[in-house]
Amino acid sequence: MKLPFIRSRGLSVKFALAITAVVAGVAFTIGAVTITLDWQRFQRELEDRALLFAHSVAITAPEAILRNDYWFLFKSLKKISAKAPEKVKTAPIITGMVLDPTGKVLAHLHPSKNPLGLRLRNANKTEERLTKTALSVVSPAVLEGDYLNVGFVEGVAPIYSDEVLLGVVRIRLSREELYLKAQRSTFIVFGITLALVVLGSLLGAAISQRITSPLTTMAEGMEAVGRGEYSNVAPVQVHQDDELGDLAQTFNKMAEDLADKKQLEEQMTVSEKLVALGRITAGVAHEVNNPLAGLINLIDTLKNHPGDMLLMARYVPQLEKGLNRIKGIVQSLLIELRVEEAQDSNDPSFLEDVKEIVEAEIDNRNINFIWENHLNDNIRLNGRRVQQVVHNLLKNAIQAIPVNGTVSFLCFQDGDCVVIEVSDNGPGIPPEIRSQLFDPFFTTKPNGTGLGLWIVYRLVESMRGVIEVESEVGSGTVFQVTLPANESTHYEDNSQHGHAATG
Amino acid sequence: MPIKSVKAAYLILCLLIAPAISVGAFSADTARAKSVKPIRVGLTAVVVRENLRFLDQWSRYLSKKIGLPVEFVRRRSYREVMDLLDSGQLEFAWICGFPFVQKREPEFIKLLAVPVYDGKPLYHSFIIVHKDSPYQNLDDLKGKSFAFSDPESNSGYLFPQFLLAMKGEKSENFFRSTFFTYNHAETVEAVAEQFADGAAVDSYIWEYLQHYNPSLAEKTRVIQQSPPFGFPPLVYRIGVDQDIVRRMKTVLLEMSGNMAGRHFLDGLKLDRFGNFSPRLFDGILDMSLRTRKVVPEISSTMKVTAN
Repeated sequence: MKLPFIRSRGLSVKFALAITAVVAGVAFTIGAVTITLDWQRFQRELEDRALLFAHSVAITAPEAILRNDYWFLFKSLKKISAKAPEKVKTAPIITGMVLDPTGKVLAHLHPSKNPLGLRLRNANKTEERLTKTALSVVSPAVLEGDYLNVGFVEGVAPIYSDEVLLGVVRIRLSREELYLKAQRSTFIVFGITLALVVLGSLLGAAISQRITSPLTTMAEGMEAVGRGEYSNVAPVQVHQDDELGDLAQTFNKMAEDLADKKQLEEQMTVSEKLVALGRITAGVAHEVNNPLAGLINLIDTLKNHPGDMLLMARYVPQLEKGLNRIKGIVQSLLIELRVEEAQDSNDPSFLEDVKEIVEAEIDNRNINFIWENHLNDNIRLNGRRVQQVVHNLLKNAIQAIPVNGTVSFLCFQDGDCVVIEVSDNGPGIPPEIRSQLFDPFFTTKPNGTGLGLWIVYRLVESMRGVIEVESEVGSGTVFQVTLPANESTHYEDNSQHGHAATG
Repeated sequence: MPIKSVKAAYLILCLLIAPAISVGAFSADTARAKSVKPIRVGLTAVVVRENLRFLDQWSRYLSKKIGLPVEFVRRRSYREVMDLLDSGQLEFAWICGFPFVQKREPEFIKLLAVPVYDGKPLYHSFIIVHKDSPYQNLDDLKGKSFAFSDPESNSGYLFPQFLLAMKGEKSENFFRSTFFTYNHAETVEAVAEQFADGAAVDSYIWEYLQHYNPSLAEKTRVIQQSPPFGFPPLVYRIGVDQDIVRRMKTVLLEMSGNMAGRHFLDGLKLDRFGNFSPRLFDGILDMSLRTRKVVPEISSTMKVTAN
C-alpha cells in the first residue's frame, strides 16, 4: 500500500491506527456481546420449542393413553417431527417418546430400537440418569445432554389426567441448529466488524491526513526557518475554520514576520558594513593623507630650491619619517598578511620577552606591574602572535593608568584553553564607546593610530580565540583572552566565527 | 394417492358433467336450505383412504345421477357409522362384513351392493410383518406388539382374533401390546415404521397401497392370508324411501357402464359394484360365531345377540 498517510511517518499513522484500534475494539466488543446474546436467545428459543413440542404432545396424550391408543401417540410424535414447509421453522428433533410412569415405551420416534410396551433401553449411564430425571419431573422441564458433539435440549412434559400421572413426553432437539445460527451470526458480526474496521481506518486516515498535513507543512516551514531560509516557507493552506486553521494562519503570519525581520536585519548588516567600511576608508585617508600633504609640501619646497643642500639635509629625514609612518600604517592594516608567515609554535617562556619589553617601557614611571605566568612548559602557543596580543594590551593598560596605578598580567591553563588576563585599575572605558573598541582607527589617544586593539582582535580571531572585555568607569578594565592550547593553528580569516563581547 | 389419475380424469369429468353443475350447485344450496334432505352415505377411513377431492367429485357424480344431493359422512370407526345408521342419521353406508353379519334386534340395515374387486366380490385378511423382521407366522408374534384396524373390522380384527381363538388364546394375553389405527393404510404404516411388530390388514387396501404408495407397502411382508371373505358391502337403512334405494342401487351398478363412473371405480381400484346375496358374508358370520365362543366379549358392545 502506498497510501499517503502511511508514507508520512508519525502522527498521521498513529492517529489512523488509534482510530482503527478504537473502532475495532468497539466493534469486536459489540460483536462479542451480540453473539453471546444471540447464543442465549437461540438457546432459550430452542428450549422453548422443546417444551412446546413436549407440551403439545402431552396435551392430547391422556385420552390416548387411557384408550391404549399408542398409534395416536406415535402419530403425534411423527407430526411434530415431520418436515414443516420451508417457511416454518423446522425442528431438528433427534428423538421423541412417550413413556409410562414406569419407563415403558408408549410411543417412540424410533420404534424399531425402542419397542412398544418394553422399558426404554438406555444407551448409557447418562441416558439412564436422564430417563430417571425425566420420569421424576412434576412440571414441564428442560434437560440437556451430549449428542454428536453439539449436545441436545430435551423438553419434558409430564402427562396428567385428574392429577394421576399417566406418563411423560420427552422431545429431544439437537443443538446443531443453535451452532449453525451462532456460526451464521458470528460470520455476520465478523463481517460487519471487518467492514467497520476498514471504514474506521479509512476515516482515521482521512482525519489524520486532514489534521497532520498542515502540521507537516508547518513543521517543514519551521525547519526552513531553523535553517534560516525564511523565503522558503510556503504558506500553509488554510482549509478549516477550527483550531488547526487558526494555527495555520498564525504560523503563516509568523513566517511572514520572520521573513520581514530577516530582510530588515540583512539591510542593517549591509549598512553597518558600509558604515564600517566608510570609517576605515576615512581613517586610512585621514592617516595617510595628512602626512602626504606635508610631504608633498616638502617636495615642492625642495623642487623650488634645487641645490639647496641645507633644505635637503633638513627635509629628507622628515620625508623619510613621514613615509615610514605611512608604511607603518599600511603594514598594520595588512597585519594578517604579515602574521600569516609566522606559524611558529613556542613554549610559554617567550612571554618573558614581553615582560622585559614592557618593564623597559615602564622605565621609571611609578607603576605597579604584576606578572604571573602559570603556564606549563609543555604548552605550545603561537609565540609571535601571543607576544603581539599581550604587548598591545599591556601597552594600552600602561598608557591608560594614572600615576601609582597597577597593571597586572595573569596567564593560566583552564582545561584545553589558555586564559590570558590583562587588567588595570585605570579610569575604565565609557559604555558608549565599548562597541567601537575594536574598530580600526578608533582611538581616544591624541597620537594613537586606533589600530592596536583592532590588531589584537584580528590576531585572537586568527587563533580561533575569544577576547572579552570587562570595564567599570572609575574602577578599571580587564581584557580576557581565551585561546585553544596545543592546537595547530589556522591563519585564515575567521572573522565570522570570532566573538568579541564587550560589557 | 390417486391424484394423477384423478386429475387426468377430472377434465373429462368436467366436460361430462358440465351441464349438471347447476344441478350440483342446486343440490348444495338446497341441502343447506334443508328443503331437500340430502342422501347421506356413511364411510370410514377403513374402507376408503381420505381423499376429500375424490369423495367430493364422487358425491357430485352420484348427486347428478340420482338427481338428489348426496353427501358422504365420514366417521372414524364402524361403530360410529352403525350408530348413525341406527339413529336414522344415515341413509346408506359402506361398512365391513363383520358389522353386517352381526345380528341386530331389530335389524335396521339391508345389503345394497358389493364391490367387485379383481373380478370377485371377495377379499382377504393379511397378517403382515416388517419385511426385515424374522417372523414367519402368527406364533412368532407371541409377546410382540400388534396393530388392529378397527374393533369391528373383519380383516383387521376378527380374523386375527379368530386365529388366536382357534389356538385357545386371547389377543390381550398373546400380544405384548395391541392398538387400533382405525385405518388400514395406517396399520400398514405402523408395521412399516416397526411401531407394531405385526398387524392384520385388508388385502384390498394393502394391494391398493402397493399401487399408490409402494414405498410404504413394500416395507411389509404378508405371513398369513385368510380365506376369501365377502367384500365390505354398501348397505341401506331399512326405512329409506325404496325409490331412493333403487335409484342409488342402479347408479352404483351402472357406474362401470359410463366413463365418469369408471373413473371413480378406477380411483378405488374396483371393477364395479355388484348385486350379491347376503350369503356372501356367511364365512364371516361363521368365523365370528366361532370366535365368540372363545372371546365372548368380542363386539359385546354392540346390540347383538348371538345366533
